[in-house]
Amino acid sequence: MAENSFFTDKVALVTGSSRGIGRAIALAFAGAGADVVVNHSKPDGASKRKADEVCREIEELGRKALAVPADIASKASVGEMVEAVSSWRGRLDFLVLNAAKAPFKPIEKLLEREIRQLVETNYMGNIFCIQKSLPLLEAAGGRIVFISSLGSRFYNPSYPLGSMKAAMEAVVRDCTESLAERGVFANGVCGGIVKTDSFKTLRQYMEELEHIPDELCVSPQALAEVVVFLCSPAARGIRGQTVVVDNGLSNRLYRPAWVRKPKS
Amino acid sequence: MKQNLVAEQRVMEEVKKAIAEGIDIDPAGIKAESSLMKDLGAESLDFLDINYRLEQTFGIKMARRTVIDHMEELFGEESAIDAEGKLTGKAAEVLGMRYDGYSAHIRAGMDMDELPVMVTVASIAEGVTSLLDTLPENCENCGAKNWALQEETLIACGGCGEPAAFTSGDDLIEEWLKQIQESKKIF
Repeated sequence: MAENSFFTDKVALVTGSSRGIGRAIALAFAGAGADVVVNHSKPDGASKRKADEVCREIEELGRKALAVPADIASKASVGEMVEAVSSWRGRLDFLVLNAAKAPFKPIEKLLEREIRQLVETNYMGNIFCIQKSLPLLEAAGGRIVFISSLGSRFYNPSYPLGSMKAAMEAVVRDCTESLAERGVFANGVCGGIVKTDSFKTLRQYMEELEHIPDELCVSPQALAEVVVFLCSPAARGIRGQTVVVDNGLSNRLYRPAWVRKPKS
Repeated sequence: MKQNLVAEQRVMEEVKKAIAEGIDIDPAGIKAESSLMKDLGAESLDFLDINYRLEQTFGIKMARRTVIDHMEELFGEESAIDAEGKLTGKAAEVLGMRYDGYSAHIRAGMDMDELPVMVTVASIAEGVTSLLDTLPENCENCGAKNWALQEETLIACGGCGEPAAFTSGDDLIEEWLKQIQESKKIF
């Protein structure tokens, strides 16, 4: 993302940004000129190691970075995370709700604790993040961007997360209205097939995914740039929308995604 | 049947390679007894990636669900993990039988979050070996009894070239649990 003076010295918090799409979003904000808070789930192990690496990459771009461990399913942890953001730079301009965690099973096989975990992380956790960040976002005239997936609107086998993505797209529509008077706006970005770590998991449940040609997969960077765009003044007229960024995959109805266009 | 085309040592080497690539670490630091989460810093997503790599390497289907998941599916919700997220006595007994070498660490009342920590390089290698040992006597396609190696780790029919049809990891766990239940009536 090209540097833009609008982002200079502003602060973005990206949940779940030690890897995958979240990492790409964190780097895109840094590229645009913002300082970034890299949230990751666990205070030790690979989660921390990867978050520290992302912070180093952000610093190499000449921006400040802070890694904050927090499990968003815990309201108390989210509160501590926002406290850490506040005492770090005293402001928060952009909240990106990217973190997600879910079992891969058909809905009818979910155990009660798995359903609870699904809702606690992917619905309640995101709402905790919105609630706790609100005073800072309000002070900054901030933006919220939720990262959704095509599972919010299309069937995917063993992907109960899709139902939470759909719920959150409704939350985005809802809170962009209710927060407007406080100067905070929300939008979403609905990603198609992105070849990140989660994709490696997903392909075990959807063997068809292997046949989707690269031209119908979207890069984490392409998705990240739309997130940054939605936080920029150029997107000021977009509110409560979830923008599909999928390289055209969902535009295919009658032609299976893996059939290549004949060469003319 | 017990297969002897892929040596156990080769399985271990491939498991270490899959782990090294899956979590992007130096293979030299991986020992048979290393815990993936505690010693090697793996996260839950990494397990699935490692499984995927092993599936490609050996032409097998690793279990998508854990022994605990299967217990609850077969014997009812909260049969393995109670409402407080703790391992039940019955589940501890079953896990103790399945993982002899680790039975000292398995106890009723332990937190379910402690369970994935017990997955080691050796336990994954054992899992792969047990799947390879479901090699059928005859090729399902042509009936030949002539298994051969393709690309060093893939077992295929020497007659028609069809890849071997192994039992899936989930089916294997389910069969094992049903046998245990049949003989010991734990649940």
